[in-house]
Amino acid sequence: MTAPLSETGIIGAQGTLLAAPVIGFAFGWFLERGGLGSAPKLAGQFYFVDLTVFKVMFSALLTAMLGAFWLDFFGVLDLELVYIPETFVLPQAVGGALFGAGFLLGGLCPGTSCVAAAAGRLDGIAVVCGMLAGVFIFNSAFDWIAEFYASTSLGPMTLTNMLGISRGAVVAVIAIAAVAGFTIATRIEDTRS
Amino acid sequence: MKRYSDPYFAGIGIGLVLLASYVVVGRGIGASGAFASIAAAVSASVSGATSPATAPYLQDGVRSPLKDWLVLELVGVTLGGFTSAWLAGRMRIDVERGPGIGSRQRIAAAFSGGIFMGLGAKLARGCTSGQALTGGALLSVGSWVFIVSCFATGYLLAPLARRLWR
Amino acid sequence: MNRIHCVLGLTAAALGLGAAAADFRPAANMIVVAQTESEHDHITAIELAERIIARETGLQILDLRSLAEFEQFHIPSASHATLDEMAHRPFPRDGQIVLYSEDGTHSAQAWKLMRLRGYRNISFLREGIYEWISRVHEPRLAADATAAERDDFKRATEFSRFFGGVPLSDVPRSEVPLGYWTGSANKTSVPVKQAVEKIRRRGC
Repeated sequence: MTAPLSETGIIGAQGTLLAAPVIGFAFGWFLERGGLGSAPKLAGQFYFVDLTVFKVMFSALLTAMLGAFWLDFFGVLDLELVYIPETFVLPQAVGGALFGAGFLLGGLCPGTSCVAAAAGRLDGIAVVCGMLAGVFIFNSAFDWIAEFYASTSLGPMTLTNMLGISRGAVVAVIAIAAVAGFTIATRIEDTRS
Repeated sequence: MKRYSDPYFAGIGIGLVLLASYVVVGRGIGASGAFASIAAAVSASVSGATSPATAPYLQDGVRSPLKDWLVLELVGVTLGGFTSAWLAGRMRIDVERGPGIGSRQRIAAAFSGGIFMGLGAKLARGCTSGQALTGGALLSVGSWVFIVSCFATGYLLAPLARRLWR
Repeated sequence: MNRIHCVLGLTAAALGLGAAAADFRPAANMIVVAQTESEHDHITAIELAERIIARETGLQILDLRSLAEFEQFHIPSASHATLDEMAHRPFPRDGQIVLYSEDGTHSAQAWKLMRLRGYRNISFLREGIYEWISRVHEPRLAADATAAERDDFKRATEFSRFFGGVPLSDVPRSEVPLGYWTGSANKTSVPVKQAVEKIRRRGC
């Protein structure tokens, strides 16, 4: 297994840090190209008018997921060495809800707000400031929610381990569901316009 | 002004970037973590490291070298967005909003939305980039919980925010 | 555009279904179960002693007991860690990591946490610090020992002296753990704390 390059020693700490802005640049580029730097476009998803967000997000997820699976299968990438975010069921459910509400209100998420701000959108800058404020509020109130924050931890738990079925099976289900979703999304958009 | 790319192509592009991230640095992308670092750094410099706003962050247990990586990455995101917008002729200073409200209300809503997202992203240890995209592609349970919760809430509350966007 | 979209969609579906068909490997936690059952998850104190003496590069021994217990007595070259750190703290990935605690419980939990984090070269002492004390630091020979047991004891004595411990011969059979040299888990009635306290009184 030659990858992840940072874990197999091919790339050191400096290489890892250098990769950050490069990867970020490409990410920001594609976000803007896809139109995700525009709040009305992003918010349009919630009214079934413009399902660009769904299409971009899930084709990205699908590409990365399938790519990771097959690279691992052919021994190029060792998935066990890739950092998986840890699961905290309740905080992530509640946090997700809060985030969704904020996303609806602001029309931009953390990454896309930077893209919008970079293109001169003042609403993008407002979202950025709001997020900094939100984080600051959270830190100030941390002691009161510290216990909830750390609750229901499952560690780095994957759907594979949790359901006890093979990784390939989970990948297949998600892939089929996403493609079906794309078909439905196209249908919805067509009937609307 | 150029037209936007086909969303699927943009998505595949992002997916390949994410995959490259797994391959090169053994982790995915993110955004909210960088905001967390910046907020903490700002409060630390203003009121010292023992202020209530930074102390819990520092004791968080999640203070890891990954967070500096995210700041650099977010700088990249901003530059990438800038470059793409510039080359496509989409640079302009304005307030993007729905047809039914004025700029002031939009800015206020954007700021408030940001606050909710800041809170939500801290609780969830990530946002649509870090949890939904990165964690989702890696089949993390918590990430999928986040995806469902985030979008379900958005869709459920959408009627209440109609004035903002339609 | 629509044709390209169709092709992309079909390709994604094919890659997805192909994944399900190709992947017969069990989930990581099943692999963990298999390893546990095939006894690859733990290491004996004697093996550990040999590796310490051989100055194996990258060997990391982590003590998961309380800091006070660690400072009172620990396996030579071990460092202290908490169960919480096992879930978060990054450790060097090259080299063997060995975990131990008071008995096998915490170290087994920690082993599982680390395995699920992707660490491969990781094992633990099944009987914890007690195994080290009773088999390496203070190996015991029963008064009515067999020839094979005497041979094993000789080997253990060399380790014991290397680490500054005291081998005990002519010990009543009841104070020698059953299956002592075969590595099976069987404790005597001598609890860890007493054994450790005896060491302290001797002024180590």
